[in-house]
Amino acid sequence: MEDALTLILAGISVGSVYALIAIGLNLTYWTTRTMNFGQGSVMMLGAMMTAVLVAGGVIDALAALASLVVIAAIMVFTEVFTVRPALKIGGSMGWAVSTLGVGIILQGVAAKYFGSQAVAFPDMVFSAQDYVEVFGVRFALQYLAILVLSVALVALLELLLRRTVWGRAMRAVSMDADLAAVAGIPVRPIVLGSYIASGLLAGIAGMLIAQTGGTVDPAFGFDLMIFGFVAAVLGGIGSSSGALLGGLVLGVIEKLVGGYVSTAAAHGIAFALLVVVLVARPQGLFGQREVVKV
Amino acid sequence: MLDVAGLSVAYGGLRALTEVSISVAEGQFVTVVGPNGAGKSTLFKTICGVVPAQAGSIDFDGASLLKRPAAMRAHLGIAHVPEGRQVFKTMTVHENLELGAYPAAGRRQWKHTLERIHTLFPILHERAQQLAGTLSGGEQQMLAIGRGLASAPRLLLLDEPSMGLAPAVADTIFERISQIHREDGLTILLVEQRVAEALELADRGYVLETGRVAMEGSYQTLMADDRVRRAYLGMGEA
Ligand SMILES: Nc1ncnc2c1ncn2[C@@H]1O[C@H](COP(=O)(O)OP(=O)(O)O)[C@@H](O)[C@H]1O
Ligand SMILES: [Mg+2]
Repeated sequence: MEDALTLILAGISVGSVYALIAIGLNLTYWTTRTMNFGQGSVMMLGAMMTAVLVAGGVIDALAALASLVVIAAIMVFTEVFTVRPALKIGGSMGWAVSTLGVGIILQGVAAKYFGSQAVAFPDMVFSAQDYVEVFGVRFALQYLAILVLSVALVALLELLLRRTVWGRAMRAVSMDADLAAVAGIPVRPIVLGSYIASGLLAGIAGMLIAQTGGTVDPAFGFDLMIFGFVAAVLGGIGSSSGALLGGLVLGVIEKLVGGYVSTAAAHGIAFALLVVVLVARPQGLFGQREVVKV
Repeated sequence: MLDVAGLSVAYGGLRALTEVSISVAEGQFVTVVGPNGAGKSTLFKTICGVVPAQAGSIDFDGASLLKRPAAMRAHLGIAHVPEGRQVFKTMTVHENLELGAYPAAGRRQWKHTLERIHTLFPILHERAQQLAGTLSGGEQQMLAIGRGLASAPRLLLLDEPSMGLAPAVADTIFERISQIHREDGLTILLVEQRVAEALELADRGYVLETGRVAMEGSYQTLMADDRVRRAYLGMGEA
């Protein structure tokens, strides 16, 4: 029984990582129904640049801030040069290819300048030894920080989306950008803002995740992004609470399967379950089917 | 108030408007009629900034609109109600109206305009919490117009508000539009297929054919013209 609890807590740990990534992916979905498939590389860059700067003697907070500034610039580039042109052509999926392309290029650039070896990532918020005990089982504070951040973000984003005029404006942009513009909503700044916010979130996620493993290398982030994407789909794309729940469910299933069946099967079975869920509920656990009358 | 001069617009290489000039004075009701594909919707989309102009000018209160993004034009007081009763379907009726009030003028006068919208279209009050996508066609059109009004505009562009509606519903819509003009003094530019009714409401009318202004004038002038009578009113020569 204690075994199960250990596994569940481990699942919640990785699940909160998936959730945080999923929330970042959702932000751009809100405004444009697109996702930045280069998000994995953005996470990597956030962690990598911070690690390299800290190794070079820059203080932690400044290193993190500098990395985030670079990420913001990269996101502006991504939106303006790869997403916006693709969206001009109705029904085009070009953005999926172009954002993935930017991600792959960033990964290549990182490998060239930082080398393809793993770089040690400094302890920033908590060290790997910090933990709390939950019913006698250790829960690392590094993961707790990610979980708390995810939960706080979900609360904040739900509030923003449901209760504020900006949230409503954002929903309007995603439904019909032209109609939103005609209603006076500054579509371009909102879309650009969602890309920047999404990138910053990914950068922060990258740092928090890198500190749990202690290292970061250029390939870091890609698999995580895939699982974040799965979490978003599982929870219902665009839904913040869905992203949180989807991430946690995915993480816990992965660890339970890993513990009771086999680690090799963990991802396979987790994906099989995902398929089953999506067959039963195509809109995801928290997604809403759109009610539309023509 | 609105001066469009020598406006040309193309989609890709295809010309949709060729040197179109129309003007609307403050307080006027102006109607644009013409067959399908004449470029009426394109004209409206260019005025509100969704489609870029190729040549010519669009001035609002004497200042050029061409360099201004669509959202800015809404803030200047131009409300566009596009054809096809477009509403934000997964938002409630009330949320749609609130979004319409996004421009500063709309926010300032929100209480007052909301009351007015509810007086004009009581059904929007009854259905305030219902999702817009679940409304009937006529109700969606009322909501689209209400959303335009919610911005407290100075110029209201209405693109075929009666399209696809049952005659009785279309009559109601027409009556409300006329009321908005008479009682609130709002300046209106209307595109309509129901030519006779639309021209009757108007101070002036334009006939658009294959992207050009084929004719313009008062209701009397246009209604007296044989070509208009034959082409749009199904009447023979007088
Ligand atoms: N988005 C578009 N892309 C290409 N051609 C278009 C587009 N919208 C309209 N057109 C073309 O422009 C012309 C004018 O269309 P439109 O302005 O919708 O006419 P109307 O509203 O008078 O029916 C038509 O030939 C139409 O096919
Ligand atoms: Mg049209």
